[in-house]
Amino acid sequence: MEKITLSVHNLKKVIGKKEIIKGISFDLKEGEVFGFLGPNGAGKTTTIRMLVGLIKPTSGRIQIGGYNITENFEEAMKHLGCIVENPELYPYLSGYDNLLHFANMLDGIGKERIKEVTELVGLKDRIHDRVKTYSLGMRQRLGIAQALLGRPKVLILDEPTNGLDPAGIREMREFIRFLAEEEGLSVLVSSHLLSEIQLLCDRVAIISRGTVIKIDSVHNLLSNRERVVWRFHPIEEGKRVLRSVTAIDEREDGFITTEYDEIKTAEWNKLLVEAGVSVTEMNRKMPVLEDLFLELTGGDSIE
Amino acid sequence: MNKNVIRSVTMVSVFFCLLWLVGLGWAVAEYYGGKPEKIPEKTKIEKKAEKKDGLHIVAIGDSLTRGTGDETGKGYVGVLMDEIKEKTKQDVQLTNLGISGQRSDQLKEQIQQTEVKRQIQTADMILVTMGGNDLFRGGQGLLEFKEEDIAEIEKKFLDNMNFIFQQIRTSNPKANVFFIGLYNPFSDLEEGKEMSKVVRHWNYQSAELSAAFPKIVFVPTFDLFELKVNDYLYTDKFHPNKKGYRLIAERVASLLTW
Amino acid sequence: MNKLIQNEMMKLIAKKRLIVIAIIIGILVAMFTYAQFKEVERQREKLGTDDWRTMIQQTIIDQQNRISSARISDEWKQQLQIALQQNQYYLDHDINPSEPGAPTFMRIFLENSIELFIPLMVMVIASDIVSSEHSQGSIKLLLTRPVKRWKVLLSKYITLAFAISLIVAIAGILSYGISGLVFGYKGWGAPVLTGFSVTDAGLDTAGVKLINQWQFLLMDFGLVWFVAIVVGTLSFMLSVLIRSTAAGMGVMLAALISGAILSNMVSSWESAKYFFMVNLKLTNYMNGNPPPIEGMTLSFSMLVLLVWWAIGLFVSFLVFTKKDVY
Repeated sequence: MEKITLSVHNLKKVIGKKEIIKGISFDLKEGEVFGFLGPNGAGKTTTIRMLVGLIKPTSGRIQIGGYNITENFEEAMKHLGCIVENPELYPYLSGYDNLLHFANMLDGIGKERIKEVTELVGLKDRIHDRVKTYSLGMRQRLGIAQALLGRPKVLILDEPTNGLDPAGIREMREFIRFLAEEEGLSVLVSSHLLSEIQLLCDRVAIISRGTVIKIDSVHNLLSNRERVVWRFHPIEEGKRVLRSVTAIDEREDGFITTEYDEIKTAEWNKLLVEAGVSVTEMNRKMPVLEDLFLELTGGDSIE
Repeated sequence: MNKNVIRSVTMVSVFFCLLWLVGLGWAVAEYYGGKPEKIPEKTKIEKKAEKKDGLHIVAIGDSLTRGTGDETGKGYVGVLMDEIKEKTKQDVQLTNLGISGQRSDQLKEQIQQTEVKRQIQTADMILVTMGGNDLFRGGQGLLEFKEEDIAEIEKKFLDNMNFIFQQIRTSNPKANVFFIGLYNPFSDLEEGKEMSKVVRHWNYQSAELSAAFPKIVFVPTFDLFELKVNDYLYTDKFHPNKKGYRLIAERVASLLTW
Repeated sequence: MNKLIQNEMMKLIAKKRLIVIAIIIGILVAMFTYAQFKEVERQREKLGTDDWRTMIQQTIIDQQNRISSARISDEWKQQLQIALQQNQYYLDHDINPSEPGAPTFMRIFLENSIELFIPLMVMVIASDIVSSEHSQGSIKLLLTRPVKRWKVLLSKYITLAFAISLIVAIAGILSYGISGLVFGYKGWGAPVLTGFSVTDAGLDTAGVKLINQWQFLLMDFGLVWFVAIVVGTLSFMLSVLIRSTAAGMGVMLAALISGAILSNMVSSWESAKYFFMVNLKLTNYMNGNPPPIEGMTLSFSMLVLLVWWAIGLFVSFLVFTKKDVY
């Protein structure tokens, strides 16, 4: 599990006099889904474009499957599959011809593999229709099929759920997890939605203004930031009870928030009920990206 | 997409790509390479032109044949053609070989060209206007004309015309030739009288020359312009205008026989 | 590389641009054929004959009269003089310069379309071949394959060369096929004169050679192809430089049209001869028409075009391999 498939070291990009990416480093391990989280304009897209070879880094090193992307582009790219932004395939070709087109650019990828990936993404019925006629979800799936053609070790997906409907998002999420867990791929997913990263990723890098602020497992990063929102009656008695066991925050709209812990929360609830406080509402609340940023950057707001 | 379609289109493209490359190479080689001096032999041999049905009229001469001065562009040849077309049911074909400013020595050269000979050979009727540029040189010669000069010009002119008529008769012994005489565009001017005398002499000699050949008819125009010359002249006071050309055409028309 | 070219051919065919071009050429050829037919008919009516010698003789006389007119410029006079001498040469050697038939029509069509029409058609494909990948966004997929960028571009360039060859072929085949319906399909072996050269003294006929029409046509095709390749390469460069297909086309169109205009009026602006668009009428050197600027020769024009071609290709590859794709 500890094999490193993608390694980025001190990556920088200067455009004009402006340093867009100010030294990013991280590693991807085999079989993990790695989240790349940051607000729009933080440098996610630029970084990803450098990883896939569309933009030349000003300095730094990118290795895919052990090959340096600038020195050994062809070898490095053999181990990479990607969708940058939307999968913009050729609308005037059929899905099959699109796959054939990209298979032609890979060594030793033939009809069998095309058939395989087509079945994998569930496009078998429509593969000979023109891409023009596909829905966005189908295009996304075709995009993934195209990315998987070369049996890559690393899959890079830029905002993979962008524009999909809720069902499509769930389907995509399951599929990505499947690829990582069953096929052993390393998947790099970028997003500006915390909830998505949380559901999908094992580890996450948070970037802001061209630097990585934090890399940690999703669990570590988020679990102690989840909170519970309470509403009870009578309010003073309830506050007293809770204060005796934990720190509380009072919101002006009458809600009380405390930290979240599966076991403890249940106990606190029991305490409240025993003290004669009727709990009318109890909500587990996910942290929002803004809060996380606020906390990590020490008051630096999102650009 | 069918792989065979792609393959065959590619094959065809490659074929044409190579073919055009060969063409390009050849063009460059041909343009510079060696230049083999195999100049094609001149085919001076008279082609026996096939005689077709219908009337073939050949007009040779100077700006009068061209119709300079006639705003409708017809000239006397055009007007005459209209009249002939009215009178005959035959197809009429006109070959107008008139060149503005042409003098008799130039006509002498022109008449010797193979193609011109061929045209004359097939002609049923030949119209000639010549002499105006020899005598008047576009009007400049008028002021300083001396008698001995004119005598010499006239002699040369007659020699040239003699040659031209011989040439015509050799090529085509049958066709009627109408040789249009000169008028005096300057008769209203000071030296008009003197000039008229010269022109009359010129015309007389031309008529004499024409008479020496069979079927060459001299057509006088001097009298047509004698009285109201300015009514019949174009603004350049040299070429006839529409009315003037009509007069000439009518005179020629009256000579036609069917 | 084979597979890359196969990819590009697949896209080219699927886009159906070639078919559109074929239709445009077909319509134009049909129009030209009709115009030519009308012209021949009018001539016949005017002269009362369809004898080519009579027609040429008439043309010569017309030209002589125009030259003797005092109201035309010296330059125009000289051009007329050259045309006249050429006509006279044809007449003297009893060779019909426009033997009726589809091959002659094809020749005239090629000579008239080398400067603007064929380059225009080529441009439709060339200016789109790279920039369409940008505007579609598919460039991101294309350049993230384990294939070096120069190979991708080279495959596109080779495909462009193929497409150009096809366009030239289509122009030839259609002009032959359509005009043949009216003028007949014969005339491949008709004699054609080439090797006239234009000097200060006028027309030089010392190097004149007699060749068959099919030979002449093949050479014409070669020259048209060369011009098309050069124009195609420059459009290709613009296609790399400018993301928008329309903008690239606009620039190229402006250049081509300005070339057509310049050719007619630059004789006194000597250095204009280094523009590629003034040098496009290569067929003029074959049939002895005077070049737009004195002193231009086939090798000069080809050299100028080659330099532009090399620059275009160099810039295309340099930019394409170095450029960051956003």
